[in-house]
Amino acid sequence: MDQLLQHLLNGVLLGATYSLLGIGLTLIFGLMNVVNFAHGEFYTLGAYAVFAALYGTGLSFFAAIPLAIAVGALAGATCERVLLRPLRGESIDTVMLVMIGVWIAMQNAELIGWGGVAKSVPAPFSTAPLVLGPVSVSPLRVFVFAVSILVILAAHLLLAHTRLGRAMRATFQDRETAALMGVRIERIHTITFAFGAGLAAAAGALLGPVFLLYPSMGDLASLKAFSVVILGGLGNFAGAALGGLVLGVAEELGAGYVSSGYRDAVGFAIIVTVLLLRPSGLFARAERVG
Amino acid sequence: MIRMLAVLLSLLSSALVAAPVVAQQEPVKIGLIQPLSGPVAASGNYIRMGAEIARDWINARGGVLGRQVQLLVEDNKSDPKEAATAAEKLIVRDKVPVIVGAWGSSMTLAAMPKLEEYGVPMVVETSSASTITRRGNPWIFRISPPSEMEALGLEKYLKDFGIKQADFLAVNTDWGRGAAAAFGDVLKKSGSSVGATEFMDQAATDMNAQITKIKSGSGDTLFLTTSVEQITLVLKQAQEQRLARKVITTGGSSAPSQLIKQAGPAADGTYHILFFLPWFPEAMPDAKLAKAFVEEWNKRGYPFDGLTEGFRGHDGVLTAVEGVRLAGKADPKAVQQALWKVDVMGLNGPIKFEKDGPAGKESGQSKPSIFIVQIKDGKIALPGFVAKK
Amino acid sequence: MRWLGLGALLAVTATAPFWVWNPYHLHTLIMAGIFAVLALSLNLLLGYTGQLSLGHAAFFGIGAYATALLTVKLEWSPWLGLLAAVALPAAAGFVIGRLALKLRGAYFVLLTISFAGVISLISVNWTELTNGPPGLPGVPALEVALPGLPALSLRSKAAYYYLVLTAVGLADLLCLGLMRSRVGRALVALRENETLAESVGIDGTHYLVLAAVISAGMAGFAGGLYAHYTRYVSPEVFLFSYTVTMVIMVVAGGKGTLAGPIAGAVIFTVLPEALRAVTSWQWQMLAYGAFLIAVLYFMPRGIVPTLRDLGRRP
Repeated sequence: MDQLLQHLLNGVLLGATYSLLGIGLTLIFGLMNVVNFAHGEFYTLGAYAVFAALYGTGLSFFAAIPLAIAVGALAGATCERVLLRPLRGESIDTVMLVMIGVWIAMQNAELIGWGGVAKSVPAPFSTAPLVLGPVSVSPLRVFVFAVSILVILAAHLLLAHTRLGRAMRATFQDRETAALMGVRIERIHTITFAFGAGLAAAAGALLGPVFLLYPSMGDLASLKAFSVVILGGLGNFAGAALGGLVLGVAEELGAGYVSSGYRDAVGFAIIVTVLLLRPSGLFARAERVG
Repeated sequence: MIRMLAVLLSLLSSALVAAPVVAQQEPVKIGLIQPLSGPVAASGNYIRMGAEIARDWINARGGVLGRQVQLLVEDNKSDPKEAATAAEKLIVRDKVPVIVGAWGSSMTLAAMPKLEEYGVPMVVETSSASTITRRGNPWIFRISPPSEMEALGLEKYLKDFGIKQADFLAVNTDWGRGAAAAFGDVLKKSGSSVGATEFMDQAATDMNAQITKIKSGSGDTLFLTTSVEQITLVLKQAQEQRLARKVITTGGSSAPSQLIKQAGPAADGTYHILFFLPWFPEAMPDAKLAKAFVEEWNKRGYPFDGLTEGFRGHDGVLTAVEGVRLAGKADPKAVQQALWKVDVMGLNGPIKFEKDGPAGKESGQSKPSIFIVQIKDGKIALPGFVAKK
Repeated sequence: MRWLGLGALLAVTATAPFWVWNPYHLHTLIMAGIFAVLALSLNLLLGYTGQLSLGHAAFFGIGAYATALLTVKLEWSPWLGLLAAVALPAAAGFVIGRLALKLRGAYFVLLTISFAGVISLISVNWTELTNGPPGLPGVPALEVALPGLPALSLRSKAAYYYLVLTAVGLADLLCLGLMRSRVGRALVALRENETLAESVGIDGTHYLVLAAVISAGMAGFAGGLYAHYTRYVSPEVFLFSYTVTMVIMVVAGGKGTLAGPIAGAVIFTVLPEALRAVTSWQWQMLAYGAFLIAVLYFMPRGIVPTLRDLGRRP
């Protein structure tokens, strides 16, 4: 029983980070139809931004996080403006390939710039674990969990209750009508991509101290993000948030009770099952997927 | 028309590659194949740095056979296909008489058919799969220990460790799996039992599930085989879950000083099997060489944490060059014959090859020395029972 | 003019082993040929049905493992192994095609990624079957044994080059024949407007499954060729980077054309090797990524279609 509780706790904590990764990608992939293979690189960028801020400018960890988010958003905006806008209208796989190029370029630039040795970001929390009955957890992970939830809520509020959010949703539901209503389509595209990239950077900034920083850290993050997006349904924000938690818990239980070697297979198996049985996502209303 | 253009384009690029390299008969070229990009880029680069130090020292002493040594470095991108291509390029285009490489066991295995095809020897500096020297490839000379040899090296300390039941957590590659199997065998032979054997994907960052599972068992020792980054994460997560066990890392890639920095108190009390001790050069078989190497490494500003792996590059080049010297010429077949006669002192210890594998086609396997350290109060120490022996 | 060009091309490629004097370059061309077959197979799915499979490395890998396991563990003849390298992935393609049923677009993409991921994990973890991470070294070379003549081992590079060249030619002809047939017309109709095509009685799922089977079988064949050339198969054949490379070759080369994937395969196999020669290892991948972005930016429809359009301009 104790083991199960610990597994569940692990899963929920892990799941929150997956959610953070997923909500950014569901906007970019789900709304903009861009297969963003560089999503993990914005995650990595956020992590390295925190590292640079801490060691370069001596900012505190808490101040470094919003800075990292801004860096990620800016990088996303630049990417959209420079690469994606001229290619608007090209087929989905051409755009996907460009993002693959960005992925390769960003990762190798990081390798050249920071070197391949892993870096660690010291967190301003004690490393002694909090003991809650039969389970234990580090204060840092509780902090990351709390902030992740806050960020997800903030993003949701922005999307659902602000004019900008309405403009975003309108643009991707019906471009022409939105344009006719006075929405600046080009700007919305840039903002949406920047928003998604910023969320990925937030995940990286928060997870930097939990894990370690190295140039290829984003690869796995990208893959998990795609799993979460499918679970939740393309473009479904709340779905991605919940989907992340589901994936985290499922992986934990799979690795704990079935086989640790096949851990990642759990994620894949979930995707395949969801796609076959309920392709629009676990939490979406039925929609056309073909 | 278009197809013609396509072919022309490709031929043009081929011509670029074929552009004759300026004829340099002078230097003796040694090939080096390592993973210089991708997830294990750090390790590959440390080995390259160690190799460069060896090259510079040899050249400062006059080179070999009156010629300077030139190191030709190729990136295998952690992909066996690339390792084979890199080997082919080094052999065919650069005409190297000997290669050092290729880090990961599957990379080395992929390059082996090329070695046989062209008849060029390779000094294996890191790979641990036992099949490498058992496949009947007479062009392979390994200076790193296969997992079985490493496990045997631990045998004499087993009583001091007092292990009743051990669990294994290893990276899901041939290295991790081989280590778990080899150490498990040695433990079982000496009367201890093996509990859980868990694996983690090479890129995984969250090992909490495996740790929770291990914690629920009754083992008293955890054997950990993976790179330093994952060791750091495992130790931190183990501390979070209050896993109170003896931890022994194997494979020599644990870079304990980096662990201390990045895992902090979570690393305290852990033991590490290593093949080079930069903190105790005087305890190495050739103390003077070890001290000089550490000093040179620091002088070049290389990260100190890389020393536990960088020495492999040095020893690999040392061995390769010695082979050339004994052969009397930079000819691959002559070097291969000469490598059997190599008897030098490297940073890890004596390097001398014994036959391993099917009769008539044996590979060379040296018997490296094995060391154990412990992290105590944030510092590296020789465990009491080791210092005594 | 066109036939002259085609004839010159054939002459050039057919005599390559005689004037490509460097075995390393011949090796590069052989790898390019294997990837050309792979790219053609992916193009069948992507270019003609419009569905993107990002799990094609799985079919490649299954083919490689099928022939490797049969020839190493059961000591089958390598030619039978090659047959299995086509059949097994084709069966897998059938399963995927039928499972996908009504899935299209991004959903299909993710299904293929997951499939590839699971297969990759199996190859690493199911050690009893696949030998796990150490892989299967010692895959035998192909041999041609005609009655009365001594066995001709296809170990030499020149011989293998011709084998691969034949394979590329066959794959090309297969695609050509397919496209000119009723199947091809149906696929194009489905790609352009599925609802309309279905309304005139073309069963979308049936043709998608057919395309998937042929595409997977071809990819598996490439895997078999790879296995008998490099004579070593390990779980790294399932690396995502292989899929990425394939996609790059097809899309940057020009999807939906027959020359595009071949050109893409040649260019993007030769490019990393050319970079290896002119830049030091630090800059190779960065240059590769930059080149890719540049190609797509200036020639978004692919190299071959763009050149073709240029050629057509008065």
